[in-house]
Amino acid sequence: MNRTCVIAAMATVLLLSGCASRGNRLYDWGGYDDLLYQQYKDPSKAPEMRAKLEAHVATLESSKQRVPPGVYAELGTLHLQANDRAKAIDFYHREQDAWPESAGLMKAMIASLERRGPSDEVAK
Amino acid sequence: MKIAAALFVILGLAGCVVPPKAKDFTAFNAAAPRSILVVPLVNKSLDVDAPNYMLSTLSVPLAERGYYVFPVNTAKVVLEQEGFYEGEQVHSQSPGALAKLFGADAVLYVTINRWDAQYIVFSTTVTVQFDYRMVAKDGTEIWTATQQLQYSPQQSNSGSPLGNLIAAAITAAMTRAAPNYLPLAQQANTLVLLDGPQALPPGPYRIAAP
Repeated sequence: MNRTCVIAAMATVLLLSGCASRGNRLYDWGGYDDLLYQQYKDPSKAPEMRAKLEAHVATLESSKQRVPPGVYAELGTLHLQANDRAKAIDFYHREQDAWPESAGLMKAMIASLERRGPSDEVAK
Repeated sequence: MKIAAALFVILGLAGCVVPPKAKDFTAFNAAAPRSILVVPLVNKSLDVDAPNYMLSTLSVPLAERGYYVFPVNTAKVVLEQEGFYEGEQVHSQSPGALAKLFGADAVLYVTINRWDAQYIVFSTTVTVQFDYRMVAKDGTEIWTATQQLQYSPQQSNSGSPLGNLIAAAITAAMTRAAPNYLPLAQQANTLVLLDGPQALPPGPYRIAAP
């Protein structure tokens, strides 16, 4: 009897949490908002954010899921701030391909990066 | 005379029962934005970290509502390169010019009015309050909302008055050391953008979702 009660309670909890879960979500964010928050809180965590977000993007791509809006571009900017211009341009291209709404901004950013000579200082 | 008085009473009563006006989405639907630029926030609280922390909470609900959201940190970096370091500077620019710079259909402005913790003896109340304002690329204001939320950590009952007092003091001290604003900010965004009476209409990617 007791056990039945416990099982029933557990089932109820599972059902309720199922209702409240993110079944209705459009994207798997991989903790993007929390990583960004941590990075604002402590800027030395930028490399950690870059690594985690990049790993998440790779997981999404290998399982053919859509990368959420803006995430490729944020990775591009993180690479830019780490002075890796080639990777920044690559990620900006990927944002542009994934999200047509971003095309204007991404084209402008790519053009601006390509105009600079390879030895230029990248703005921080 | 009596009739007039009676009419007054009826009008007065009718005035009382009129439900809160439903949000008018005519301007929003006319603009039908696909993409939203979230610009750095204006901060009227005393917490200098609040704008960045709040900025990190806005992309997910907006994108989940079905809009393309410009990368908030990239947008911030781009604006800084243009010389705009403070939210006030950005908010005073013409929305049309900002939208054009990014190729956005609409710009979301958020102002932080409150982001504070108040301590009264052994309890703490954490409060956040935000104004949200969305403007289409042609300069038309298409949506506004205000949200305030408060949170007071609940005490657990230890069974002894002294135990309760100590527990309350510890909770208050911990909240004072690191008030946790983020869950409140996230909840405010969810209420305003997704769930509440003033919530944004679903965007194109939500509509297209299976």
